[in-house]
Amino acid sequence: MIKHHPKFELLQSFVNGELPASLSAGITIHTDMCPACQQIVTQLTEQLSYASFEEDSFDEFTVNKPNTVVNTEVSVEAIDDFNFEQMIASITDSNDIDIIEPKVEKNITFKKKVYALPPVLNNMVLGKTANIGKLARARIQLDEDEIHTSLLHIEPGGSVPEHTHKGFELTVLVEGTFSDEKGDYVAGDFIMLDKQHQHHPVSEKGCLCFTVANDSLHFTQGINKLLNPIGAFIY
Amino acid sequence: MQVASTCLPSDSINAISSKMSNQINHTELCQWLTAVAQKRDKQAFTHLFNFFAPKIQRIAIAKVNTDTKASEVVQETMSNVWRKAHLFDGNKGAATTWVYTIMRNVTFDMLRKVKSNKEDTLSDDIWPLAEAENIQESDYDDHLASKNLRSVINKLPENQQQVIKAYYFMEMSQEQLAVHLNLPLGTIKSRLRLALGKLKVQLGESHD
Repeated sequence: MIKHHPKFELLQSFVNGELPASLSAGITIHTDMCPACQQIVTQLTEQLSYASFEEDSFDEFTVNKPNTVVNTEVSVEAIDDFNFEQMIASITDSNDIDIIEPKVEKNITFKKKVYALPPVLNNMVLGKTANIGKLARARIQLDEDEIHTSLLHIEPGGSVPEHTHKGFELTVLVEGTFSDEKGDYVAGDFIMLDKQHQHHPVSEKGCLCFTVANDSLHFTQGINKLLNPIGAFIY
Repeated sequence: MQVASTCLPSDSINAISSKMSNQINHTELCQWLTAVAQKRDKQAFTHLFNFFAPKIQRIAIAKVNTDTKASEVVQETMSNVWRKAHLFDGNKGAATTWVYTIMRNVTFDMLRKVKSNKEDTLSDDIWPLAEAENIQESDYDDHLASKNLRSVINKLPENQQQVIKAYYFMEMSQEQLAVHLNLPLGTIKSRLRLALGKLKVQLGESHD
């Protein structure tokens, strides 16, 4: 049973679209396997959409986002009537409709073992697989500066050497199981660690993980802004 | 001002209506979206636009920082509403939630383009707008075959692609397609026939 879930605040940022693609994908992998968190996400989306589109709700809406309060009074007249009409005309000029193509189920193979690729990764570019002993890692090329996203495969009996993190490290277990000092993990578990955590994951039967980490010394500079909304919530 | 709600639908949406704002006329939004989907009703779209566009502009400007970019979010979001209205299912949620999802996705991809200089569209994988049918791609050869088929389809003229994809991938009926595209049934039938003819030739040639 899944025991490790994203914090509520992280789900809020996710629904708000404030997280980088890497962490957003991690949450989607989790919610695809965790009906409880899926339900929270659905409810949050409903609430946020009502709040967004209520007539007089802008003060309420921005309460949770102090850094944007300054902007709430900005130009309502930014779009004038003329632009409105022009935009409507240009949009409705086209008769095209969007067709949703069927979702393709892709596979990925590590050491001859075939895994179903989480659908959220379907359109992401995977780099070459690097092998180190019983570990294999394929980078997911998202170009998010210091944030590195990978698929990590551990062969049965393999382990990750004891390590700490300069920034954060998210592990979402896609398939299989592993254990560390704190216990056992199953598919769907969402494990967020920071530099205070030391761990030494061992996988007796092998597993595939989705990992996101920022190891950069420049954490406070480059990526800081992007992570601001969640900075306080990464434990 | 809180106005007593008299216009909330009594059917499926009712289940979540307690959480809804009395200030939004959800039934009306739903009807407009349906009119856009079924009749390509420009008047209904104008109503939707007038309701959503100013709000989207205000929300977007806090996220994308410039008026120009915010207008792009409005344009892109409302274009999506026009092109995807047929995917909206009033039984699964409110129109506001549906439009919010589109707006959030458009904004996400735009910000990603600015920050990471990536032109990819990941938002629809992270927050899918509609549940598409899954198809298996387990076999490597099948994978190649379906890729091949798709690339052949993508070479068809735009109007033939549209009917092929809608008819076979979405399993819309020819009658539904005629309504959605606002075209005579005969045109749909002849486009399908033309497209299939071309596909046969293409796939036959490349399958030797």
